[in-house]
Amino acid sequence: MNQKKKRMFSTTRQKKVAQTAYLMVAPTIIGLLILNFYPIIQTFWLSFCKTGDFGLNNTFIGLKNYVDLFKDPEIPQALINTFRYAAVQVTVSIALSLVLAVLVNRKMKGVTIYRTIYFLPMICAPAAIAMVWRWMFNQDFGILNKMFGTNISWTTDPKIAWLCVAVVGIWSSLGYNMVLLLGGLQDIPKDYYEAAEIDGATGINAFFHITIPLLSPTLFFIIQTGIIGALQLFDLPYMIIDESSRAVRSVKSVTYLFYQHSFEKGQRGYGSAIVIFMMVVISIITYFIQKTEKKWVHYN
Amino acid sequence: MKRRVMVLTCSAMAAAAIMGGSTMVSAADTVSVAIWDNNQLSGLQEIANEWSEESGVDVEFQVMDWTTYWTMLEAGASGGEMPDVFWMHSANAQKYMDAGLLLDMNSYIEEDDAIDLENYFPGIVELYSQDGVQYAIPKDHDTIAAVYNKAVFDKYGIDYPTDDWTWEDFASIAQQIADAGADDGVYGTYMNTGSNQSGWYNIIYAMGGEIISEDKKSSGMDKEETIAAMNFVGEKILPACPSQDSMANTPGDTMLMSGKIGLYLDGSWMAKSYYDADNAADFAWVEIPYYDANENGQCDEGERASIYNGLGWSIAANSSVPDEAWSLISAFSDEAGQLRQSELGVTMSGYIGCSEPFANAFGDMDLSAFTKVEEDGRLVFRPYSKYSARWEDDFTQKFIDAWNDPSLMEDTCLELAESMNSILAEE
Repeated sequence: MNQKKKRMFSTTRQKKVAQTAYLMVAPTIIGLLILNFYPIIQTFWLSFCKTGDFGLNNTFIGLKNYVDLFKDPEIPQALINTFRYAAVQVTVSIALSLVLAVLVNRKMKGVTIYRTIYFLPMICAPAAIAMVWRWMFNQDFGILNKMFGTNISWTTDPKIAWLCVAVVGIWSSLGYNMVLLLGGLQDIPKDYYEAAEIDGATGINAFFHITIPLLSPTLFFIIQTGIIGALQLFDLPYMIIDESSRAVRSVKSVTYLFYQHSFEKGQRGYGSAIVIFMMVVISIITYFIQKTEKKWVHYN
Repeated sequence: MKRRVMVLTCSAMAAAAIMGGSTMVSAADTVSVAIWDNNQLSGLQEIANEWSEESGVDVEFQVMDWTTYWTMLEAGASGGEMPDVFWMHSANAQKYMDAGLLLDMNSYIEEDDAIDLENYFPGIVELYSQDGVQYAIPKDHDTIAAVYNKAVFDKYGIDYPTDDWTWEDFASIAQQIADAGADDGVYGTYMNTGSNQSGWYNIIYAMGGEIISEDKKSSGMDKEETIAAMNFVGEKILPACPSQDSMANTPGDTMLMSGKIGLYLDGSWMAKSYYDADNAADFAWVEIPYYDANENGQCDEGERASIYNGLGWSIAANSSVPDEAWSLISAFSDEAGQLRQSELGVTMSGYIGCSEPFANAFGDMDLSAFTKVEEDGRLVFRPYSKYSARWEDDFTQKFIDAWNDPSLMEDTCLELAESMNSILAEE
């Protein structure tokens, strides 16, 4: 009797908790449904249409956009551009931010100043960042060529330009990654290091055998979101590289192509096909990254 | 679980297309106006203020850059939220008229004594009409002239150009500057792949070529004269320009103002930015060169060509304040408003014969080069078709290789003619 009463009490209580929880997440869920899922469905539908101007007179044309997509020579080039950017940007950014996080994760003078400085790029608007870098890269008037006394075509030489875009991408993501990693570092109990020290493992050894494994959940999160973010690259090449630059073909990402077709050339249907295609590519990559999770991520 | 949700959310965001949309709410006592040229804001604001005082209706301007403007307008049009009054342009007008997004102005024009379409440049009136319906009132017109930096000419002891110069003269003066300034990194002139309206389009028409046929059904890029003109650009003008890399880095007006080049072609809509520069006294304008086709040493009819274009004032078909919007447009476009626009140096007028004050609108800076070409030159309306934006994009990008290696110029022209024809076939 007593037992039963207790359980009933706990269910109503749980119900109440659940109700409140739903209420709390409702704004986000509704926002997601309206702002994300509805456009996805609409974009999916558009990708099978030849679209008229201003969303009028859309006619269903089946898979034609996708057939065109697989014949379009710009697509493989854009995929190459996107993947090599992602490869460089994600690895370098994570490696650097890990080093920075370890460096600022200790007691020293002015540590908050350093943390603030590294985090600053995060709070700047990407468009503003791109504009400033564009001027720094300027061949004739830019500070980089003035400083080094060189005459390098930073944003127009196809061999260099994509790396310049990656540099800006790395620079802007350092702070965010660093703060996340710093959080992860501070969660690692000091006892592990003390115990390791007694066993004779210090410095590099401790870093690889204690820090990295215990940081792996955070690392996993950063790698996963970092790759997804990098594969959606658009604003940096669009803002930094001029349309008349020789290098524009070697920095055009898939999302850039989508933007051009959908918004500049008024071919929404084809643009939608591009972006749905990219969504599938990203989903597949995400799936494989998830698969690797068990192999190297340790949740205590 | 938490991780899974996080990942799900991330992939959802990855998939979401960016569906931009800006909302513009207009109250009954406000007319919202969207434009893309900040240079013109102060002058237009002044005319609008005078109108507001009379009508008691406020005017709210929004200024965006060219690309943002069209993205905003298209998103607004698709979502049913457009500004009340906005600029139309040859690059996009037909698309908007076809979709029925612009207000039919015929009845307003009939009732308004101040507006008679006969008074405006016919090319501009025609551009904004379809099947006998007028969808925009000409706001202005613009022409092209050459601007030079006197400081650069003085430094190298080169004579200033005069109105009676040919494109050959233009090229040789540019080359003289480039040779003299080689050690200082100073170049003759600037013409990039995207310098179309205020650049190589003019040379093509001066030399008898064309960009698009009159019926807008076929490309003129494969015409013999067009190719000859582009070869002239490649062989005579580009050698006097900074490298194409440099030109992709920095716009031409910036280079001229900073003394990096000596000579440049620009449109009348840009005059104010030269006048506002700190070293405004260094700049002077001269008429666009002519092409001496019959080689008799003087400029005969048709040998001097300037591309001209004109914006139009349009009203959104679904505007909640069409009467007020019309009244404002009428104030901008009637004879008094057009004269005022020229006096204030906003632009030259769309109303024929109201542009003279523009020549003297900027104090010591003589802008008569823009108005003189109307008398002794041939005005060619800026080439357009329904999807001009698509082939103009192609021009900018596909000429890059030919700019870097002018021997590719002819092949590029033929290739562009082909891709342009397939776009025109779709229209």
